[in-house]
Amino acid sequence: MTKEDKLFNKNILIAIDESDNSRRAVAYVGKFLGGLPGFKVTILHVIPEPEEDYFPTSAEKEKWLRQYQQKIDTLLEESRQHLIENGFSPDDVGVQSTLRYCPSMAECILSERDKTAYSTIVVGRQGISRSEEFLFGSISSKIVQYAKSCTVWVVE
Amino acid sequence: MSDIPSKEALSQKISRWLPSYQPTSRFRVHTDTSDFYQVDYDDVVILNNRPYLVRHNAREGRFGIDDEVKFWVKRAIDLEDGSRKIIKLVFYERFMSRIGDIEFECFRSPGKEARILKLVNGHKNFMHGQSVQDEKNNVIRILDFIQGKTLAAHVEDMAMDHETYYYEVFPDILKNFFECVQAIRLLHENGERHGDIRRDHILIDRESGNYRWIDFDFNYRHRENIYGYDLFGLGNILVFFTGMGDILLPDLRKKSHPWLDVLDDADLNIVFHNRVVNLRKLYPYIPESLNRVLMHFSTSANRFYERTDQLLNDLGEVRSAIGTASVPEGPER
Repeated sequence: MTKEDKLFNKNILIAIDESDNSRRAVAYVGKFLGGLPGFKVTILHVIPEPEEDYFPTSAEKEKWLRQYQQKIDTLLEESRQHLIENGFSPDDVGVQSTLRYCPSMAECILSERDKTAYSTIVVGRQGISRSEEFLFGSISSKIVQYAKSCTVWVVE
Repeated sequence: MSDIPSKEALSQKISRWLPSYQPTSRFRVHTDTSDFYQVDYDDVVILNNRPYLVRHNAREGRFGIDDEVKFWVKRAIDLEDGSRKIIKLVFYERFMSRIGDIEFECFRSPGKEARILKLVNGHKNFMHGQSVQDEKNNVIRILDFIQGKTLAAHVEDMAMDHETYYYEVFPDILKNFFECVQAIRLLHENGERHGDIRRDHILIDRESGNYRWIDFDFNYRHRENIYGYDLFGLGNILVFFTGMGDILLPDLRKKSHPWLDVLDDADLNIVFHNRVVNLRKLYPYIPESLNRVLMHFSTSANRFYERTDQLLNDLGEVRSAIGTASVPEGPER
């Protein structure tokens, strides 16, 4: 694959979490591109691996991860169905969840993108206040800031 | 566990520390500290075969609120050498904390504090101690007691006008604070956070004069910026000691203070909207370079600090501007 292909292909990566903003991002892609030929979408959720201190015991951590994975599997499948209902072929919509320790979620999402050939990343804007962005940062802002060789759509 | 001292031997050891009228035979010996409420005054805790006499539960007061008893933190005496210790037993808690209108998840982590103690062993800007496991594998931290005031008390006890404070005291506090920020950088470089950066979590060691971070068992679930909350804490401390205390809007309103005429929303803390951070408006001798740093924590900030390096660079300029940069920094350890 040439650099040109990587920049201008029709592969879309939608990074989602459980927020309404993420649902809007999926809905936007469905409405905007549903029924158009050639587009392939992967819906991604990066499971932020809790720090080793978060759970008193490894059994609690395992339980939490199992429950979280189930919830995310449901969310990803619902999002996939939404795109199919909006005109995407089932073969063109994939889902992916990956468990990673993420000091920066934006960097984790971008590194997932780097592994594959997506020319476009879609995220929902978190809609956080300036105070909140100051304290904890904004994933979408950071993706916009650090993304290379791809286009970023931030859905309001 | 055959090395555990006999009750008679312990009784002899503790007699030195108890009033003469108190019988030395009535005490309990703990090797399992899981239920920290059971570990009471004048009990003995054995850790790594070493006996510690428990004296008091620690308390923590803040911002005028009555001291809160921390039952899992014991003031104690090492019965082998007579030194004072703080013994932190295991207490897991997870809760939602709130700053202004922002909610975030916090948790207490003995393991984190144990890791950091190891990392900062011998570092002049941190409390020191060791972690050991009791017989139920609880991670207990045995901390060296630090004699000294908190930075908060040091600043609040100033009995002088701000201008005198700024020229005579502030440069030394800034120099020491700079070292504290360097110390936090060390944590961040090693993937750790302090987690609870506050002005009463810096103790000024009476013996050495060093500023020392205490209490790093707190942690929080970060979102995008892993160190953002630590940096916010550093900013709050900087604003606090630059102003010789917080300048609060409610206090100014009570006094119908003339400063109210010059202050606007852009001059306030980005999270605590009742604290003034644009201190140069009130104290014009504060240099622009310092005020620029303060304004990074204001509602009008366009750029936020994400790393301690950024803050240290800017504070370095401030130190040059006010002439404290000539003080040798010395090694971090």
